[in-house]
Amino acid sequence: MNNILFFAHLRDAVGRDSVQLDASGKTVAELKQLISDKYEAVNLEHVMTAINEEFASNEEVIHDGDAVAFIPPVSGG
Amino acid sequence: MDERYSRQTLFPSIGKDGQEKIRSKHVLMIGAGALGSGNAEILTRAGIGKLTIVDRDYVEASNLQRQQLYTEQDVEKKLPKAAAAASRLRMINSDVDIQAVITDATALKLEELVQGVDLIIDATDNFETRMAINDISQKYKIPWIFGACVGSFGMSLSIVPGKTPCLNCLLKKMPIQGMTCDTGGIIAPTVQMVISHQTAEALKMLVEDWDAVRSSFVSFDLWRNQYTSMKVSKAKDEGCLSCGINRTYPYLDSENMMKSTVLCGRDTVQIRPPMQQDLHLGDLSRQLTSLGYTVKGNPYLISVEMGEQRLVIFKDGRALIHGTKDLAQAKTIYHRLLG
Repeated sequence: MNNILFFAHLRDAVGRDSVQLDASGKTVAELKQLISDKYEAVNLEHVMTAINEEFASNEEVIHDGDAVAFIPPVSGG
Repeated sequence: MDERYSRQTLFPSIGKDGQEKIRSKHVLMIGAGALGSGNAEILTRAGIGKLTIVDRDYVEASNLQRQQLYTEQDVEKKLPKAAAAASRLRMINSDVDIQAVITDATALKLEELVQGVDLIIDATDNFETRMAINDISQKYKIPWIFGACVGSFGMSLSIVPGKTPCLNCLLKKMPIQGMTCDTGGIIAPTVQMVISHQTAEALKMLVEDWDAVRSSFVSFDLWRNQYTSMKVSKAKDEGCLSCGINRTYPYLDSENMMKSTVLCGRDTVQIRPPMQQDLHLGDLSRQLTSLGYTVKGNPYLISVEMGEQRLVIFKDGRALIHGTKDLAQAKTIYHRLLG
């Protein structure tokens, strides 16, 4: 199983700050697609991904037990 | 130097040598909003040699909740932020050479502004400018510190050319604007937390303590009590067009720059003429008054009431059209008044 964490407005779109699901063997891009299918309000296209607190590209493969965090860039300042 | 900086020089990682270095540095602040105000105040108090502060906007009542350099008088006078910030900063520390630049920080303008600069601080509110700063930073090998916030969520990253990945390595392409600005509002502690991250990194860079510079992307949510630090060293991309082997600095191509922009969350469109103008605001003001418009102004700008819209025209020909998000409508209004 994997713990998937959502930050900023993604948390509001999903309705909670984390979900548990099995993403092992999937790439980051595949997980993004899966989540977008499940939660219509969530757009992960421009969102950064961390696996176990390390930056991960869309091609990176997720392993069992990995913690995945989605961090959206925000523009205010 | 003496007493004024004694508590800062007592801090072992700065010391007297560090203070000398801080004193010799020139910082370029892009933006004088919430992040710009706070960053500028801390660095001015810290005793940097020179601060250039660049902003395209003027002070409004809705800024006062979090933009710490401004007062009700600044709102009343509709002072440009860069000018209002500079006069406040000079009162705080007269030893610092403070330069106010009232303009839009376009790629072209940035090329001019970075000459002789040791560090760039991002205090902008849009990714168009940030990506241009990112390219400029790589082109001239000047470090910059990214900072952004919305609601209770904030983030920061230190970018040192040749050492760290750049913002384009992480984002790959320009994020969509306005995805969050309209929805979240902003609370002042979020701003202050981003400022703390940015200025701590700035001090490290100014004293050249490069090993101490944070190598991770930090983000936090002060309301939801989340804090995360993401390691980014692996993100450095040799194919990156901004910092890779075959770099082209895509965001410095002025052909690609928009000439009109909807300002995030403000029901406002900015129009920027392709060439910088030097308008005689007095003449323009008289001309518009004679046409029956209500016109107010100061030496930097004039404000024209037009029914549901309000047009603010700056000396360089730039205009803000309040009360619309429609680019075409905004351009029509602009052309109607300025030809």
